Amino acid sequence: MSTEAREVVTLETLRVVTRKRSLAYGITLMALGLVEILWYGGADSKLHTTIQFGYNTATIWPVVAELWRVVLLIAGLAIITVALRAKEIASLERLGRFFESVRGARGIAVIIGAYLVIWPVLLWLGINQHGQLRTMTVDVAFTGYVFGIASIVVGAIMAWKRFDRRASGMLYSGLLVFLLGFLIWVARGSLDLQLTGILASAVAVSTFLMLGSLSGTLCERSGVVNIAIEGQFIAGALASIVFASAFHGSGVSLTFALVFAGLFGAFFGWILAIMALRYGANQIIVGVVIVAFCTAMSQFLSTQVLNTHQNLNGSYGLPVWAIPWLSHIPLVGPVLFDQNVLVFIAFAAVIIANFALFRTRWGLRVRSVGEKPIASETVGINVVHVRYGAVILGGFIAGVGGAGFTLGPGSPFTYGMTAGYGYIALAIMIFGRWRPYGALMASLLFGFTIALSANLNLYLSQLVIPQQFITALPYLITIAVVSGLVGRIRPPAADGVPFQRH
Amino acid sequence: MKLELRGITKRFGSLTANNNVNLVVNPGEIHCLLGENGAGKSTLMNILYGLITPDEGQILIDDEVVTIVDPKDAVNHGIGMVHQHFMLIPVFSIADNVILGSEPLKPWPVIDYKAATSRLIELANEYDFEIDDPQATVEDLPIGAQQRVEILKALSHEASVLILDEPTAVLTPQETDAFMVILRSLKASGKSIIFITHKLREVLAIADVITVMRLGEVVGVTTPKETDERGLAAMMVGRDVNFVVEKLPASIGDVVLKVENLYVEDSRGLTSVKDVSFEVRAGEILAVAGVQGNGQTELVEALTGMRHPSSGHVTLNGVDLAGESVRRFLNAGVGHVPEDRQRYGLIPSLSISDNLVLDQLDDPRFRRRFGRDLKAIKANGIQKRESFDIRSQSEESPVGALSGGNQQKVVMARELSRELKVLICSQPTRGLDVGSIEFMHRQIVDIRDSGVAVIIVSSELDEVVALGDRIAVLYDGEIQDIVPPTASREDLGLLMAGAGKAKVNA
Repeated sequence: MSTEAREVVTLETLRVVTRKRSLAYGITLMALGLVEILWYGGADSKLHTTIQFGYNTATIWPVVAELWRVVLLIAGLAIITVALRAKEIASLERLGRFFESVRGARGIAVIIGAYLVIWPVLLWLGINQHGQLRTMTVDVAFTGYVFGIASIVVGAIMAWKRFDRRASGMLYSGLLVFLLGFLIWVARGSLDLQLTGILASAVAVSTFLMLGSLSGTLCERSGVVNIAIEGQFIAGALASIVFASAFHGSGVSLTFALVFAGLFGAFFGWILAIMALRYGANQIIVGVVIVAFCTAMSQFLSTQVLNTHQNLNGSYGLPVWAIPWLSHIPLVGPVLFDQNVLVFIAFAAVIIANFALFRTRWGLRVRSVGEKPIASETVGINVVHVRYGAVILGGFIAGVGGAGFTLGPGSPFTYGMTAGYGYIALAIMIFGRWRPYGALMASLLFGFTIALSANLNLYLSQLVIPQQFITALPYLITIAVVSGLVGRIRPPAADGVPFQRH
Repeated sequence: MKLELRGITKRFGSLTANNNVNLVVNPGEIHCLLGENGAGKSTLMNILYGLITPDEGQILIDDEVVTIVDPKDAVNHGIGMVHQHFMLIPVFSIADNVILGSEPLKPWPVIDYKAATSRLIELANEYDFEIDDPQATVEDLPIGAQQRVEILKALSHEASVLILDEPTAVLTPQETDAFMVILRSLKASGKSIIFITHKLREVLAIADVITVMRLGEVVGVTTPKETDERGLAAMMVGRDVNFVVEKLPASIGDVVLKVENLYVEDSRGLTSVKDVSFEVRAGEILAVAGVQGNGQTELVEALTGMRHPSSGHVTLNGVDLAGESVRRFLNAGVGHVPEDRQRYGLIPSLSISDNLVLDQLDDPRFRRRFGRDLKAIKANGIQKRESFDIRSQSEESPVGALSGGNQQKVVMARELSRELKVLICSQPTRGLDVGSIEFMHRQIVDIRDSGVAVIIVSSELDEVVALGDRIAVLYDGEIQDIVPPTASREDLGLLMAGAGKAKVNA
């Protein structure tokens, strides 16, 4: 009776808070845009940047005839129209209802349509060379103005409209626009900007962030804080490369190495589950101890064992799949559809996890034990079992993510290669509001900053900013996110709270 | 379905929560389980619902022994429970809450929301519940509606016995009336109901059979025809209870506290006290009535310095204190018995002696050189424990180990040990047993008679009427009206529901 609900944070509270913050984000973005315009918008207008669009051989696009372009243009426009207006057209009533009911479907359809429209237009504008869309040369001053103004517009909209739910999405897009402008400016002059290369490596990097944050999302949705993701990454990275090396040439698929990595991650998930659920230990302490153990163990193994048995620590990359047709789409193709298996696994995992969490019985129960376990208990749900399942599954996913460090780029295990990304994954989980799709989007953004900071080293001579600052960029964004720049988001109510039966 | 509990005994350490309890609930019967806090009602029901395992005893359904070790067993045997603190997940929709634990599936793991929604609406229609939107989030619903969701949840599990644990504690008088209608319709459809409460009036109005518990034992089984409020209370407490608070007419002095056009925002930034003005004079009790959550908390916090009002004046003996610190309020002579004593009134892990001087550590009596005068603090503890009849092992016992009534006595003893101009008591008897309630009421009346202005805030109508010299009714942050304690319960109920002065008088 005594602890009444007066301190309970309601959704309404958060909306009020986020609305206030939306103003702050907006002003920040506007300031960034202004910097962009002043700094290099007015820069020497003779500077140009050549953007490279394809390391992939986009063979079907150069032969696209004028007519085909028209077809594409019409198709794109048709998709946009249907997505926006289907409700009003009688014969398309069912489609209209689909777009009404499925959240985000309309947005995705509009983006696809717009993408189809843009390319014919770009080709007609003649910015391509030799009839192909391989490279595009742009004026740095021009892009500075365009992207600077775009940032300001996004910022102004945020500041004006005071979004609540859409605030972080707007912030994403605003930051992306700003970063793109920055990138073009940095790559001015001599070197070509490897846009596809950067984006493709961003996606590759974001796979383990995706899997890591997905792991965190699953665990925390069930009410257990999994701070051990970093440790599960290390375990997965090490286990997968040792497995791959040991079975190399024996006909065992590398994909099994992923499963093996997952099992190691699951093992540490299980340890966390036992300590937290059976013994009621502090979840954060247990998680930190697991990370400490894995870190130390990996150092021991790499200096004492792998150094002397180098055949156990080889360089094996996962097979790369180029999805027919889709991989030929300019820009999007090489970025999304010409990647190693793990990338596809990560995307699939996010989609499956989102469906499982919000559409299935298992998901409803996981979310219920993370919100109010005692209520779940009174309807006959075994809280501890559900949490065990979620934490072990989360460990498995993080372990598979760990394999991305070694098998993804195809490099041997080195001590410290996970570089704290397990913790960044936790920040991404918060950024993504404890939702798989949110984790996906946030991972891509973080992946982009990581890839960017890696690629910016190529243009070091042109940078005013010290390299160390660029390297620190992903971590700076993490701090900003965690310290609440992006607005407080309500975590699962029972997150981190041990459950004791009477 | 006939339900029988036979010889149930449950011990927690040295405490016997249930001792050889027998209870028979016949089909279609409203069976009231009456008893003070700590009488063992909740333990008994948690045993029946499988949340607690009994040490001894049997549960029989239709004269057959069944084992219930977890809530799932209880649900499978047709027992449903509506807990005092709702077992609903606030961020889930109504539909999600109702299906949780028995989700309809289409292909295996996927929830069939269509079936769930139609079943929900069907059930709601069957029992005449209003469910506007099954997808509405539960935390956005008013308390009464949340309670109906909780009942629907139990019914959807095909419960034939419903346990209702203090269901009316959170309802307004009007909502309680509506709730009684629901109970009767459930009874008419053949459900048995176990209704746990300590409100005698409700028991007499609705029960078919009444079982009274005291100190873990059944002390009597009766029916409303055979007894009255006085008889039930005597059974509950074990002695005759004086319901009427004896008090002389107030000898009213000058205005002590004057509140003018007070506006206060809550933690969400929403205005929860709107344009409140009133005066309290020396030697009178102003009772603030209202259903919980209508701005009482924020009003009291503004009157004690815990929350700064967004505008308005709080004038104590001519000095405007609005927006000043808690310390200034205390020094000016404001005493505060907070509604959440465990959180704001006491530090549970500290001893009684320490809690008794929390706000007086800078008082020379309790200081010695650079530190505290431990001897003086201890002596003070011994003396206060004696004079306020605080029952504990010693004055060094941690306050958290005391019962609610004794904790409240500690708070009261501390507040009264300063020179007071005004005493503000928020929910002074919430969760206390009858004996402690009598004691607290006596204290409040005594302090009034000593010439202090007193404000009590309570959601218990009986208490408001018994203590108040004037009654201010708060609804949605506004004072609806200030009426004398002779106002009828119906009028007070209407005011509490926001009907306003005009309608009451019309």
